[in-house]
Amino acid sequence: MNEQNRWERVSGDAGEAERIYRRSRTFLGDVWFRFTHKPTALFGFILVVLLLAFCLIGPVFTPYTYSEQNNKLASIPPLLKVYPGPAEGSNLYITQGLKLIEVDDEGHLIRQLKKKKDDSKAKQTSFTWDDDTLVYLDYSRLPNTVLDRDGNRIETAKTVWNRTYLLGTDQLGRDILTRLMYGTRISLMVAFIAALVNMIIGITYGGIAGYLGGRTDSVMMRIVDIISTIPLTLYVILIKMCLDDGLLSIIIALSSVYWVDMARVVRGEVLSLKNQEFVLAAKTIGSSTKTILFSHLIPNAMGPILVTVTMLIPSAIFMEAFMSFIGIGIAPPMASLGTMCNDATETLRTNPYQLFLPALVICIIMFAFNFVGDGLRDALDPKLKK
Amino acid sequence: MSRYLIRRVLTMIVTLFMIALLTFCLMHIVPGSPFTSQKQMSQAVLDALNAKYNLDDPLWKQFFDYMRGVLHFDFGPSYKYTGKTVNDFIESGLPYSARLGLVTLCFVLLTSIPMGIVAALRNGKWQDMLLMFLATFGVTIPSFVIATGLLYIFSFKLGWTPVYGVDTWKGYILPMIAMGGYSISFLARLMRSSLLEVMGQDYIRTARAKGISEVRVIWKHALRNALIPVITVLGPTIANLLTGSFVIEKIFAIPGMGGYFVNSVTQRDYTTIMGMTIFYATVLIAMIFLVDLFYCLIDPRIKYE
Repeated sequence: MNEQNRWERVSGDAGEAERIYRRSRTFLGDVWFRFTHKPTALFGFILVVLLLAFCLIGPVFTPYTYSEQNNKLASIPPLLKVYPGPAEGSNLYITQGLKLIEVDDEGHLIRQLKKKKDDSKAKQTSFTWDDDTLVYLDYSRLPNTVLDRDGNRIETAKTVWNRTYLLGTDQLGRDILTRLMYGTRISLMVAFIAALVNMIIGITYGGIAGYLGGRTDSVMMRIVDIISTIPLTLYVILIKMCLDDGLLSIIIALSSVYWVDMARVVRGEVLSLKNQEFVLAAKTIGSSTKTILFSHLIPNAMGPILVTVTMLIPSAIFMEAFMSFIGIGIAPPMASLGTMCNDATETLRTNPYQLFLPALVICIIMFAFNFVGDGLRDALDPKLKK
Repeated sequence: MSRYLIRRVLTMIVTLFMIALLTFCLMHIVPGSPFTSQKQMSQAVLDALNAKYNLDDPLWKQFFDYMRGVLHFDFGPSYKYTGKTVNDFIESGLPYSARLGLVTLCFVLLTSIPMGIVAALRNGKWQDMLLMFLATFGVTIPSFVIATGLLYIFSFKLGWTPVYGVDTWKGYILPMIAMGGYSISFLARLMRSSLLEVMGQDYIRTARAKGISEVRVIWKHALRNALIPVITVLGPTIANLLTGSFVIEKIFAIPGMGGYFVNSVTQRDYTTIMGMTIFYATVLIAMIFLVDLFYCLIDPRIKYE
């Protein structure tokens, strides 16, 4: 304010200047604001939504099932190298088993040609195209190719996208895209349930230890200390061994070891909260220990709990993939991302796409949940931000 | 200090005992006998087998006998490979695993700490962004994906490294990177944040005010303090490396203990699983103990009550 109007009468609505026009945001609104204003967190969240859509809605759109095998069309890659066929608009694809498959210009697989005769001396195989036409496959030197009408090798191949199996087939002729959808579904389901169970066990255990304190606390935390020195990987494997092959046993194995961190977090929070006035107030009006713990203390500790849960999901996914990869995961023919990777390692040299597709999906899931976890931590507790 | 040592050793023994007990119980509640297989065996053969392996004794006696064996470093026979003992597996696998583990640990320390230092000193600049971007990759990509990816590119496509085995030094390169990937990223991030925190402390300002050269400030004052959190997590890192070797040894066909362990798990060779679990746990707990002792020595501020 400058010198001249210092002694002027203030107008009646001067109090307006002090008014806060913006509506005050609730805690949740604040969290949401901070979360959506962090690009990586938002990106992770969108990825998670897309993944959920992929694994829940995706299977509706594919004509295949995860277990449907087609041995004739095993290990067909997503990108086909095709040679021109005898008819207009037809192409020929040479499979790894030296068979010929007719492919149209758009990349649809039409049929497998019937083998007529194998001339092992000239290293040529003839296939019947129709009643009076034969097609010759020449495998005398690499790359294997098809002979044209005059018996010359066709050296130029063009590449088309496989339209019948968008991401190709695995070594048993199952559609990889469909299996990826089911695999993602299994991985996410295992992770979500395991995280939820761990959360419940951890909250109860940590809450009781923290609230009761004293000797109960020290005994309970000593047990947690002992459990946390045991390498988790070993114990997940051992527990899994005692149960049968199945989804449930993986969930039980994962749920029984990961609650330790959660228990520690909850105990710490409860310890710092339990001496505050609102707990005292609850005690004075005669609330039971259970009410104080679960309706007063735990809701106040929800921030760190949520962050721990989001961080737990990627480790559960990782563990499930790890177990499936060493061969004690989910039983075939059900797909999981880890089993798909494991199956593909045998044919890594010839069919790398069979490994890289599920591996890529695992990486996307891990990225998405790590980003969401980081974002959630920063949003719930800005003090922790580095 | 000595009281702390005694307490630590005692808890270590209790933990190991609990692990042995838990493992033993888990392996005995598994449905079916260890000899259940596709081949139908007559009752007489089963009885003879049970008597041979003392499986007809009461459980507590079996446990005591087993523990007595373990204390003498005798983990008993393998149920699946006749004539082999669990000790044989450990003896033949340990040298490979230990060598790979040590090489990887050195590699992890030699890359992650400089990475963290560079990222912290160039905080916010492109070097920092690049290194932390790489570190995010390392934490999110599972080791078996890194391993198979590296194998495909460097062994199959480029042919620079052997496809399997560790007969030459080249064989160690890929397993080392794949196994250490997670730990490198984790430690680099930790080193960065810890050094950043230390650089903001008053004593660093004092050191600078005295006119000490920047190199000396970082080397003598900042780094020593910044290393403490890194050393704290070394124990779990070693645990991570050891259990991570299960898949890596399988992928690169390294005849180490991890490979035997995975085999015994898939073949349900219970004594081998039990013995190896106890062996692994002992090694890990001993490692964590050593790291703690070291930690105690380098940071005199830490007083153990």
